[in-house]
Amino acid sequence: MAPRAHLALRRPEWSRGEHPVVNVPFIEISSVRKSFPARGGGAVSVLSGIDLAIAENEFVSLVGRSGCGKTTLLNIIAGLEAASGGSVAIAGRPVTGPGQGQGVVFQQHALFPWLAAVDNVGFGFRNAGLSKRQRRARSMELLRLVGLQAAATKYPRELSGGMQQRVSIARALALDPQILLMDEPFGALDELTRIELQQELLRIWQARRKTVVFVTHSINEALILSDRIVLLAANPGRIKRIFEVGMERPRSRTAPSFNALYEDIWNELSS
Amino acid sequence: MRARLARFAVSAAVIGAALLAWELAVRFGYLKPYQFPPASRIARGFVELSTTGFPTGVSIWSHTLVTIGRVLQGYLAALVLAIPLGLLIGALPFLDRLTAPVVVFCRSIATLSLLPLVIVWFGAGELTKIVLIAYGCFWTMLSNVIAGVRYVDPMLIRAARSFGVAGIELYRTVVLPAALPRIFAGARMALGVGFMVIVGAEMIGTIEGLGALIMEARTFYRSEITMIGMLVIGMLGFAISSGLAGLERLLLPWSGSLDEVRR
Repeated sequence: MAPRAHLALRRPEWSRGEHPVVNVPFIEISSVRKSFPARGGGAVSVLSGIDLAIAENEFVSLVGRSGCGKTTLLNIIAGLEAASGGSVAIAGRPVTGPGQGQGVVFQQHALFPWLAAVDNVGFGFRNAGLSKRQRRARSMELLRLVGLQAAATKYPRELSGGMQQRVSIARALALDPQILLMDEPFGALDELTRIELQQELLRIWQARRKTVVFVTHSINEALILSDRIVLLAANPGRIKRIFEVGMERPRSRTAPSFNALYEDIWNELSS
Repeated sequence: MRARLARFAVSAAVIGAALLAWELAVRFGYLKPYQFPPASRIARGFVELSTTGFPTGVSIWSHTLVTIGRVLQGYLAALVLAIPLGLLIGALPFLDRLTAPVVVFCRSIATLSLLPLVIVWFGAGELTKIVLIAYGCFWTMLSNVIAGVRYVDPMLIRAARSFGVAGIELYRTVVLPAALPRIFAGARMALGVGFMVIVGAEMIGTIEGLGALIMEARTFYRSEITMIGMLVIGMLGFAISSGLAGLERLLLPWSGSLDEVRR
């Protein structure tokens, strides 16, 4: 595991010297709501009254049915969408847009098809003030981290779905963000690739100490990965219940405690 | 390899048999040669066209060159106007909303229906023909460029924005490259339009060009010459379209669009 001091040196300027004080949540979501104007007047409420505090280095999953607003919530934390009310703060600073330490991994097909894998990762360094060579070297380093240095010059369409998502993860890590926001990143992958990438993600999360917010449809996936699982309900999107997982990693999918918690979440989800 | 050879032999045999049947049907008087000129007559017509020419003095080669010249001039003029304009309209949603009805309206007017007007404006000379071709190519190209820029996968936009890329930088680094395959497709379609318009555009005020050749042959009941004109236009369109596809594969090696739709 890398020592914290080393990582702190590589943090972007905005966060330097701003380590959160103990007990102050790292990501603080307070009374966030989001609504869209409805057809024929009125408004559709997608999220209402979301309060959630996430600690530094915590791995939190957002689980819920389609339409519960989990992707919207992720976009709001990412600064890609504005909330209709309430606020999100990262390390005490209100989120006003992207680039405040959030790295985002999207569902699928979010790689730029005209850029080779290494240049897709390099896109993340666009505004980092690096020379072309430095950019390439850093990008290769990140590709190595996700085990894809051999595919550096391949275009996305020449890569399998699993490889594409590895590149996406490498790209999201480009600016060494403190927060990794992941929007169903493994949802379209086959079961085996999915398990492989879950392990890979845990390895990266443990090696680089990130705070992860992970949106998924899969209770199983949430249980394998997360410290806490936030169950959202729809119409309007709201937090129904939060589950502490509290099992040692690596977790066994067949352990009784695993299955018991699965059962709990399933019951809550389907009730 | 062997299977491919066999398939090729079968299709060659089928085509050969059809041509032979056609030939015999004409010889035995079931088909009239001026309605359905058989292959032998088309071949003789081709020899005449490439030596003495039709009308006398204008060979098939000069017809072809003249037509290519006109299509390219009109086509290139259309691209030069449509690409920058399309990139601008596509970038500004309010401009797109404003112009969309005009684009659809103008694109829907059959280009040849403008012929009388264009003659009144520009006379019956070269300019008229080139303007007609340019008109046809322009709207096809324009709507494709606009669509290419407008309908970029929102996921790519979000990905770029997550790195703080926005505004003109977003347009240059994401929207433009993402629109290129559609722009290339538009360029191929527009070229097809150009060759479709050319026959009509060459109907008036000229004896040169494949369109003029086809019309002139009609006057003399030389159906085989009309067919030769059609064949040459078809081959030209095919050759240039393949050339554009090759260019696209060369310039956009990342785009798999050509592997999926071979056109």
